[in-house]
Amino acid sequence: MERRFSYRQAEKLASVFKKHRVKYLFIGKSGAIILGFPDTTQDVDVFVEKSRGNCRRLVRALENMGYPLTADDRKEMLRGKDFIQIRSGPFDIDLVFAPDDIKSFSDAKKRSLLIQGLPVCHIDDIIKSKEAAGRIKDRESLPRLRAFRNWLRKKG
Amino acid sequence: MKNNLIRDFEAASRRGLKHRIEYFFIHTYKPVMDDAIIRYFDTMGDYRRWCETHLPGWLGYGKKI
Repeated sequence: MERRFSYRQAEKLASVFKKHRVKYLFIGKSGAIILGFPDTTQDVDVFVEKSRGNCRRLVRALENMGYPLTADDRKEMLRGKDFIQIRSGPFDIDLVFAPDDIKSFSDAKKRSLLIQGLPVCHIDDIIKSKEAAGRIKDRESLPRLRAFRNWLRKKG
Repeated sequence: MKNNLIRDFEAASRRGLKHRIEYFFIHTYKPVMDDAIIRYFDTMGDYRRWCETHLPGWLGYGKKI
């Protein structure tokens, strides 16, 4: 099975999450790529609102997309986690419920953009969360991401 | 260097979203990270600590190699 995140899968995710009314935003380098950032990533990072109702809808949406969740998986997801990493199903996905230095989902949602049906965090939030995480991979990508933000601002 | 970056950004903006997703999302095996079907972490702190202690440093998920 193709494990790489494809455009077709992005469309499917957007359509299924919309159908199940999942509140989510792309974040991380995957979000930046959707905004136009030219770089590669292996991660599909999705910021999901951490509420019981949204998690219930998320479980249904993931199952609808073909993620084989067990009863324990469903239970854990409904209990409320900050981070879930799934390596089965149509493509690998990281579900982030509390990204570093982002005050709340609703706060990020206000600044978010919709790019051809894909909801994405604002570049400021993507950068802020990477700055706060401070991992080696974040520190490597931050100079280019900041340059991209400056370019976006100038472009208007 | 700066001009090269700007040229990259301008070129990427001329490509459509479909092109960016098809070419910029790649998949390679990440040792340890990809060896479990699913992992949950109660807090981001738990996740960061797990990355620091379990993943090979060269993957870049820690704060230092």
